[in-house]
Amino acid sequence: MKTIRHLKIAGAALAVGLLAQTALSGVAQAQDREALMKEHSGGTMMLGAVSAAGTIDPHVNYTAEFWQVFQILYDGLVKFKQASRAEGYEIVPDLAEAIPEPQDGGKTYVFKLRDGIKFADGTDMTAEDVVASFQRIFKINGPTSGSFYNNIVGADKCLAESKSCTLEGGIVADEAAGTVTFHLVAPDSEFFDKLAVPHASILPAETAATDAGTSYIPGTGAYMIESYDPNDKMVMKRNPAFSEWSVDAQPQGYPDEIVYRFGMNEESMINAIQNGQLDWMFDPPPADRLNELGTQYADQVHVNPLAAFWYAPMNTNLAPFDNVKVRQAVNYAIDRNALVNIYGGPVLAQPTCQILPPEFPGFEASCLYTENPGTTWSAPDMEKAKQLVEESGTAGQKVTVVSEDTATSRAIGTYLQSVLAELGYDATMQAISPNIQFTYIQNTDNNVQISVSQWFMDYPQASNFLNVLLSCASFNEGSDASINIAGYCNEDIDAKMTEAMQTAVTDPESANKLWAEIDKAFMEQAPVAPLFTPKNVDFTSKRVGNFIFSNQFRWLIDQSWVQ
Amino acid sequence: MIFFATPGSDPAARIAGRNAAQETVQAIRKDFGFDKPLPVQYAIMMKKLFVTRDLTSFVNRGLEVVPQVMRAAPITLSLVFGAAVLWVFGSIAVGVLAAMYRDTVIDKGLMILALIGVSMPVFWLGELMNLVSQSRFHDTWLFSWVPGLGYKPFFDGPWMWFKTLVIPWFTLAALYIGIYGRVLRANLVEAYQEDYVRTARAKGLSPGRVMLRHALRMSMIPFVTMFGLDFGVLVGGAALLTEVVFGLNGVGRLTYQAMLNLDLPMILATVMYASFFVVVTNAIVDIIYVVIDPRVRGH
Repeated sequence: MKTIRHLKIAGAALAVGLLAQTALSGVAQAQDREALMKEHSGGTMMLGAVSAAGTIDPHVNYTAEFWQVFQILYDGLVKFKQASRAEGYEIVPDLAEAIPEPQDGGKTYVFKLRDGIKFADGTDMTAEDVVASFQRIFKINGPTSGSFYNNIVGADKCLAESKSCTLEGGIVADEAAGTVTFHLVAPDSEFFDKLAVPHASILPAETAATDAGTSYIPGTGAYMIESYDPNDKMVMKRNPAFSEWSVDAQPQGYPDEIVYRFGMNEESMINAIQNGQLDWMFDPPPADRLNELGTQYADQVHVNPLAAFWYAPMNTNLAPFDNVKVRQAVNYAIDRNALVNIYGGPVLAQPTCQILPPEFPGFEASCLYTENPGTTWSAPDMEKAKQLVEESGTAGQKVTVVSEDTATSRAIGTYLQSVLAELGYDATMQAISPNIQFTYIQNTDNNVQISVSQWFMDYPQASNFLNVLLSCASFNEGSDASINIAGYCNEDIDAKMTEAMQTAVTDPESANKLWAEIDKAFMEQAPVAPLFTPKNVDFTSKRVGNFIFSNQFRWLIDQSWVQ
Repeated sequence: MIFFATPGSDPAARIAGRNAAQETVQAIRKDFGFDKPLPVQYAIMMKKLFVTRDLTSFVNRGLEVVPQVMRAAPITLSLVFGAAVLWVFGSIAVGVLAAMYRDTVIDKGLMILALIGVSMPVFWLGELMNLVSQSRFHDTWLFSWVPGLGYKPFFDGPWMWFKTLVIPWFTLAALYIGIYGRVLRANLVEAYQEDYVRTARAKGLSPGRVMLRHALRMSMIPFVTMFGLDFGVLVGGAALLTEVVFGLNGVGRLTYQAMLNLDLPMILATVMYASFFVVVTNAIVDIIYVVIDPRVRGH
C-alpha cells in the first residue's frame, strides 16, 4: 500500500499550500465591475482537456465538460446564477424578464421574454424560437427528453412519435405579447431547474432537427464557437450580437478569445500550465503531481467541493447482496478514510455514509454505519460487520467487484475486494474499460454483484440523487440504460419520494426534510455503500485572475481574465 | 462482430447518455439503424464509408470520419517522414562506420549506443524528453526555444512546424537507428566475405568506394525491405505512442481513441487508411529493389 501513503503526503502538502489562498477569494467581486472590465478585458485564454466531449449540440450533449462551456454560449428562459460556490445554485431569470409565479396550482407558468436579444447570427430571439427549441428536444430524441421534459402537456405524444412533435397545448407562444405559456401535466417542483440546464437552451427556430454534431448552432451567449474539431480544438470568439442584459445570468466575459485544446495528456498539460502555454485543464491533475502543485504552485490551485459521491452499488437481486444484512455489513466494514487516502487525501475528498452530498438541498448529516453511529463517520465497525455476515450465512460465496480501469477506480475496487475477503467471501476484482463500465454495470444481463461508480448532480435537488438513482422507474431489466444499478425497488420509499416531490412545489423546506428522511430510509436498506464526496481541483496558469467556482457548473470560464 | 458482442457496448444506450428514458434509447436505436440485422448494418456502413463517404462517428455524433482521417494524416506523415529521414541517414552512418572500424572502440561504442536505442521504450524516452524540455529545463537557454506540445501545420510557418516536431522525430527515430544500424553492420560484415567485394578490392578500388558502391549497395536490400514494412506500419498508425506522448493528434491517436470509445466507424476508417499505406509503401519498396539490385532488373 505504498502508493496510498505517498498520496496522503501529497494531499497534506496541498492542504498547507491552500490555507494561504482562501482569504483572497471574493475580494475581486466587490470591486467595480466596469473598471475591472476595462483593465482586464482582452487576450486569448487557452484551455485543455485530454479529449473532447463529443457533439456541441446543447440539446444533446450531456457531459460536465461541455455543460461548463455552454454557460457562456447559450441561454435558457432561466439560468443558474453565474456566481461563487452555493450562490451558483440560485436560479435567476435569463431570456425571461422574471421568474413567473405558478398559476393553476403550479400547472401553468407564463414567461415574459426580454426584448432585443439576438442570436449570434443576428436574428432576433422570439417566442417562436422558444416553442421550436422545446419541440426540437423531442425531435432529436434528446437524452433527457423522457426524464426532464416528459411532464409538459403533449410530451407523451412527442416521445412516442418524435418526428412530428408539436407539444400542442403544452407550450403556447404569444408573439405579440412576447410571452410563452407552459402547461404541465402535474405540478413540478424541479421545473425551473430543468429549464436552467443546457438541454433547455433556446436556439433559432430554423435549427435543423438533427444532432448538430460538430457544427455550431447560433446561441445568445457572450461567446460563439468559431470552429470545433474534437481531435484538435474548439475556438470561441466574442459574440458580435451580444449585449449584456443580466450580469447574474449571462455576464460579459473578459477574454476576447477562448481556445479549448484536446488531445494532450494530463502530465503534459500540467507542464504546459506551469510554462504558461495553457491556462487551465479540465481533467483532474494526476496524483503524483499534487505534491509539487501544493508546494510550488499553491496560489494557482483551487480546491472546491463537488455535489457528487463515489459509491458502490450492490445488486439487491443477486446473492449475496439480496440479503440486507450483507449490504449493511459491507457498509460497516468499509474504512472510508482508507478510500479518501486512495483518492488523494482529506483535501480532495471527504468520507460519507449517506447518499446526498454535504451542503446539498435535503442534506442532513447522518451516518448509520460507523463505530459510533451519529452524524459523521469515524471508524469502521468490523466486529458488527462480521457478525451480520455470520447471521446471513452467506460467508464463502463468490463475489466479483467490477471497477473502471482507471488508477483510482481500480484501487478502490481492490480495496473493496480486500474488505469482502476479510468478511469471509471469495472475492475477486475485475477492471473494465472506463468507456464501457458505466453501461456494463447497469445491465442486469451482466449479473454484476457489486461495482464502483460515481454520480454527479445535474441540478441541485435531492431527487436528482435519490429518485434518479434508486426509484423503481430507474430500474429497467436487461437494458444498458438502467441507472438504478442496485436494481433496488421499494414501493414504500417510492411513494414517499412522490410525496416529497409534490410537497416541494409549494413548500420546498418541508420537502427537504422529507428527503432527509428518505436518504436515511434508503441507507437503512443499504442498496449502495456510499464511499466519499470528491472535491474538484483546478490548476490555473499564473496569469489567470478572478477565479470563480460555482457549485453548479464549476469554474466560470469567461469571468476569469488572462491579462 | 466482437464490437457488437461486447457487453455494455450497446451504442444506442451510450449515445442516448446516462439516465436516458427507454423510449429515447429505442428511438435512437431506430434512428441509427442498430435494430437492423448485422449484415445489413455492415453493408450500410460500407456504403457510407466508400460510396457516400459520410459515415459519422458513434461517439462524436455528426463527426464525419473520412475527413477526420484526412485531417490527421498530414500530422502522422510529417512525424514519420521526418523520423524516417533521420533514421535512414543515422543508421547508414552508424552501420557503415561500425563496419569500417570493425572490432575497434568506435564499433563497440556505436553498437552499445544502438543497443541502448533499441532498448528504450519510445513512450519512456518521449516522456523523458518532455520532462527535460518542457518541465525541468524549460526555462534554461537550452530548451527555452521548445514550443508547447501539439502540432503546428507546415503552411502556417515551416519554422514553427520544424520546432514542434524535431524532438518527436528524434524520439521516434532512436529505436530505428538502433535496429537498422545493427542490421546494416551485420550485412556489411557479411558482404565483405563475398566474392564481388574481393574482386573489387583486387581491382584496386579505394576502401571507401568498395564500401559505398559495392558492399553497401547490396546490404541495402534487406534494409529497404525492413524500411518498407516499418514505414508503412508507422504511417498507418503505429506511431501512436509518440503521438500520444507529444500531443500530436495523428492517425495513431485517432485509432487509439476510437478503440477506447468503441467507435466502430472511426476504427473502420483508420484501418482502411492504414492498409492503404502498407500496400503503397510495399509497392514503392518493390520499385526500389529494381533500382538498387541489378539482378532484379535482368529478369
